[in-house]
This record gives sequence, structure tokens and C-alpha cells, in this order.
Amino acid sequence: MKIDKKEKAVVVIGSGPGGAQVAYQLTKQGIPVVLLEAGRRIMKEEYVNEEWPAFSQMAWLDKRTMSGNARIVKDFNGLPTWLVKAVGGTATHWAGATPRFLDYEWKTKSTYGSVDGATLMDWPIDGKEMKPYYVKAEDAIGSTHRGGRPPLPANNNYKVFAEGAKRNGYKFYATGPYGTNAAPYDGRPASIQDGFNFQGDKNGSKWNPNVSEIPKALATGKLELRTNSQAVQITTDSSGKADGVLYMDTKTKALHRQEAKVICVAGNSIETPRLFLMSASSRFPNGLANSSDQVGRNYMRHLTGSVYATFDKPVNFFRGETMAGFLADEVKHNPKRGFVGGYYLETLALGPSFLGAFLDPGKWGKKFADMMDGYQNMAGMWIVGEDMPQANNRITLGSAKDAFGLPAPNVHFDDHPNDTAMRNHAYEKGEAIYKAVGATQTYRVTPYPHTHNLGSMRMSAKAKDGVVDKWGRCHDVKNLFVSDGSVMTTGAACNPTLTITALAIRQGEYLADQLKKGNV
Amino acid sequence: MKITRRELLISAGSLLAYSQLGSLANAEVNIAAQPGDQEMIASMCKALYPHDRFPMSIYMDVAAGAIKKGNADTGAKISFRAGLDGLKINKFDKMNFKKQTKYLKSIENTPFFGLVRGHTVVALYDHKEVHKIFGYQGASFDKGGYKDGEYNDLSWLPEPRIEEHPDLTAFLDDSSPKKYASLKIKKTF
Repeated sequence: MKIDKKEKAVVVIGSGPGGAQVAYQLTKQGIPVVLLEAGRRIMKEEYVNEEWPAFSQMAWLDKRTMSGNARIVKDFNGLPTWLVKAVGGTATHWAGATPRFLDYEWKTKSTYGSVDGATLMDWPIDGKEMKPYYVKAEDAIGSTHRGGRPPLPANNNYKVFAEGAKRNGYKFYATGPYGTNAAPYDGRPASIQDGFNFQGDKNGSKWNPNVSEIPKALATGKLELRTNSQAVQITTDSSGKADGVLYMDTKTKALHRQEAKVICVAGNSIETPRLFLMSASSRFPNGLANSSDQVGRNYMRHLTGSVYATFDKPVNFFRGETMAGFLADEVKHNPKRGFVGGYYLETLALGPSFLGAFLDPGKWGKKFADMMDGYQNMAGMWIVGEDMPQANNRITLGSAKDAFGLPAPNVHFDDHPNDTAMRNHAYEKGEAIYKAVGATQTYRVTPYPHTHNLGSMRMSAKAKDGVVDKWGRCHDVKNLFVSDGSVMTTGAACNPTLTITALAIRQGEYLADQLKKGNV
Repeated sequence: MKITRRELLISAGSLLAYSQLGSLANAEVNIAAQPGDQEMIASMCKALYPHDRFPMSIYMDVAAGAIKKGNADTGAKISFRAGLDGLKINKFDKMNFKKQTKYLKSIENTPFFGLVRGHTVVALYDHKEVHKIFGYQGASFDKGGYKDGEYNDLSWLPEPRIEEHPDLTAFLDDSSPKKYASLKIKKTF
């Protein structure tokens, strides 16, 4: 449907897992929505099954600057994240892992206690409240191993991973839960084991909003999807309520304004706080909804890292699903290990093109070449664990300008000693898994540009402690919501997309109810 | 500051590059246009990422790309010229591998090295011939994906369980904040 720019509309900014889900929940209930997406719509036929061309096709490459002591600042300066600028957002690129938060992960301050230098805080919601939304989210995504949906088969990379795990005494390994169909589900086909989930999945077996919530919301007739429309400012009226969005057409650079009665922002953990900071005004001098000074702070990205190993026999780990292998044994908080929180190990395969760039950034010489030379005999896994929120790990507006003349965001990241301790523990365990099945060489790999970007608009019970309340509604601006992973108070060990989806379903239902009651 | 003989030679190379640029004021100067230049850069690419299995033609392709980047702007031209002259003066292509590595170590912080290494690691491992040599088959979508017996053809390990362990749900559900808060932390990190 076409919505007039002068009409006070419900405006959602960003069409990733958070924004697309909220838009779908609202339109499903008959509420018209304008959905602004900075990127274009890339249909699955256009996806490219080659690593660099696909990266160029969809990655968010607008100017960003970086600071801090994390190695990524040196290795990938200017590219702190690996996000997607397209309809469907970063879910276009996601692999598909869908674990849930553990109950205590909603309450880390109460559970872990005080950790020096960390800004741990309890979420204002808990596992019990979220449980039904997790079920809805798993059904929306079609997670394997859940809701009666079958598991994916074992590929070669998983065979090495699972047997190594078993020989180390681990029990909790499986090929999921994973957001790619093992059997046809929700109008999408079963996986044909063609890999390239990071490049969009041409077969459409992988869930992402571009093949699910977006077409469903369009089918309601209540959605206007405006692509190449990048929000640059949220404006407020004399009462301090949000009343419009200024956005630019990224092709013509023309600036437009959409009148709004409610705005939901889901631009991911860098662009969302950036938009709030760019929306500073005389009424909101430190940025919109920022009386707490928490906008942009406590940015998290999971600790991450990878372990690769070569064997004396072929593995061919690139064949089949990219990340359909899970190990949960190390996820539980166990301070005897020397750190708080826990982590998952998950299978991961890269092609030679990406592996060369990411195996050991900046490295060269014989040892590196020998590792690459073992490509056919290689297995790989990814570490994903809870990282500590820190007040100064934050998004600010830097002095550099992007191609549109707007202030480029600066991303500051220091590793917390807890992150480093956990990563080292995980490296050791990952290597032990591969050594148990005869690894001839193992390689500890530093974090890639981050795909899990969390925090920076944290949810809090009290207005002074965070940016949004338990519904994702800004403490300071009552008709302004945040609908993406940036609301995460703390990040837990699990991959975040399922939780972002669950929170967005919950928020969408709440917002629809409030709109019908005239409370917004 | 102590200047080594090698650094002096590199500086000399830069000066030479500058002077030549001056003398060709009206003609467009392209770097590494001399016979043998591409081979020299290729020998550097190979020393950086040495693979006996790769034919020299692959490194030549990579070198061509590096040279193109070296000609991309004036700054790149200046530093590329200096770096290439350093290789030539020191007869880099005639050194043994150990000496080549030592030489590369000595220029590791130069923009020239950064450009060639940065280009090589991407272009080399993205090269279609390299993919073939590595046994990487890449896209399979047009063939209907990897078939049963391809994506799971590893036979030197037993078939693993793919379902979750029956105790997993209980393991994950047993996560009450109160219980886990009682775990005593002696000293973390």
C-alpha cells in the first residue's frame, strides 16, 4: 500500500530480524506501516555464491572509524562489523544458529555478582516471561530440533567436530538448533546442502525476513516498503514526542520526511544509536532519549574467535550447511574455569577466499601458507560466548564524515579480561576436540569483523540506567521504540537472532494492543 | 638513528624514483612497466605465501593486480616505485627463500609491503586456479547442491549422532539465577 508522507504513520526503520518482525506483527493485525530500509531488495536469484562478490553485493561498507585495544581495531580498521545493507538486514548473511538465553543470563548482575570494569545489569524481563515468545520465534524461523522439526544431517565438518567432542567426554552436540529447513517448512524448501548461507542462500531454505516476514507483511496489503531510504534524523514536537523521520534516498541523495505517530528503530547496534545521536536538538542536547547518557554505551559483540585444524585425510568442510554443528557443554556459568559466563562451539566453514583474509590477519610466511595448503583436510569451528558490557565500549559520532556528509560513527572496543580468559579457554577446548581426532596442525583465529552486535541502547527497569524499558520503549520519548539487538542489557552466550526475533514478536504484539487502545 | 646498508639502498631507490618522475614530467609514469618487473613482484608474492603446488603463472596474475594497485594514485606510485627498486637493487628474485623472508621482514612496515601483501593474500586465495588445486569446489547450487555421499563422504570417523542428547533440555533448563549465584568465585581472569 502507499502511505502519504504527510500522514502520521507507524514508521519502522530497518528491515532486519527486529524491524521486519515488528512490521509483520503490526500489519498482520491491520495496522499500516511504513518500513524504511537503507539498502535495496536483493532477491534470492541475485545472490552470488562467491565470497568476495557476495560481500561487495550486500555488506554495509559506509564509513566507520574505530578505536580501542581489541585486535580487530588494527586488523580491520574501518570495518568493525560484518553487517548487511539490504532488505532482511544482517539475517541475509547469518548462518542460522538459534539457541535460547539460559534463565540466569537474563539476570547476570544477580548471578555473576560485580565484575571489575563491567557494567553487568539484570534485564527487566526474565526467562519465564520470554518462554512463549521463544516458541513463537522458533516457529517463525523454523528452527530444526524444535517444534517437531527434524535435524539436519551430518556434514563432513560436523563429523570431525562431533567425534572430537565425544572423545573429550562432551555430550551436548547436535546439528542444531538451526534456522535452515531440514524438511520443507513454511513454504520454503529443504536444504540441498549447497552451503553459502553467509551469501544469502539461493535455495531459500534458510530463514531470513526477505523470504518470510517481508513477503508476508506485503501480502497483508498494509505495508509500504521503501528501499534505499536511509533514516538520518528523528524529529520531535513541542511536547517532546517523536513526530517524523527525515530520510534520504541513497541513490538521488534527496531528503524526505515522513510524518509519524510511532517510530520503531531497528538499525542494528551501530546505526541505531548513531541515529539517536544525530537527532540531538535543543530539547535533547545529548542526543534523542539520552538523559541517562547510555545511548551508544555498553556495545557488545560476543567474544568470538575460531579454531581451525588440518588432518592427514580429507575433510572437505566447505560442503553442506555452513554452521550446522553445535556444542553446548561449555555454556554454563562455572567460575572455576576462571571467568564468568559461558560459550558455545559451533562448526564453521569458510572458502579459501575468506579463509586467507581471516585466518591470521596481517600474517604471511611459510607457516601461514602451510596451513592454507591443508585446505582440503581442514575442519573449523567458531566460538561464541558472552562478553562483558563496558561503559566505554561505545558508539559515538566521530569527526570523520561519510559519503553523505553525515558524521561517521566511531566504534570503540576494548577487550575485557573476562573476554580474553574465556576466549583462551575456548581455544584450548577447541584444539583438544581436533587433537582427539588426529589434528596435525591447529590454528587459533582472532575474531572476524563482528556479526553479533548488541547493546548500545540497553533495556533497563529504571530510566537512569538505560535507554529503553521492558517493551523496548524509550524511557524519555514514549512513542519511540527500539526493536533490534541494541536493546540487549547483556548478551548471553547464544547467537542473538532468535532472541531478537522473540523480543520483536513480543514488542509487536504489545504495540498493536497499545495502538488499538489509543495508548500511544 | 642507525641506518643500515639495506635501508640506505631503499632510500636510494626512492630518490631514483623521484628523479625519474621529474625527468618524465610530461609523460604519464607507470610503475613496474620495465621487462622483468612483474616477475620480480611475482617472486615477492611467492615468498610471502609460498606454495610449491602453485605454478608461477598464478603468482604472475597476482603480481599484475598488485602492479595495477601500485599505479592507482600518486602516493601508491611513489611508494611502489621505491619498494620495487629495493627488490631490484638487492636482487630479491635471486635470493634463497630464507634470505627473501629476512628481507621481507626488514621492509614489513613500508607502504609498499603493505600494498603487495594485502593484495596478495586476497587475490591469491581468491584465484580460481588456487581453488582447483585446493580441491575447493565452491558453488554447487546450479548442480542441485552437494549430493548425499559428497557433503558427508568422510569415512575415517564413525557416523555421529545428529539429534540432541536426551539430557540436554534438563541441562539447559537447570539455570535458575539463584542456584548459579551460589557458585563461589575464587578468582576470575
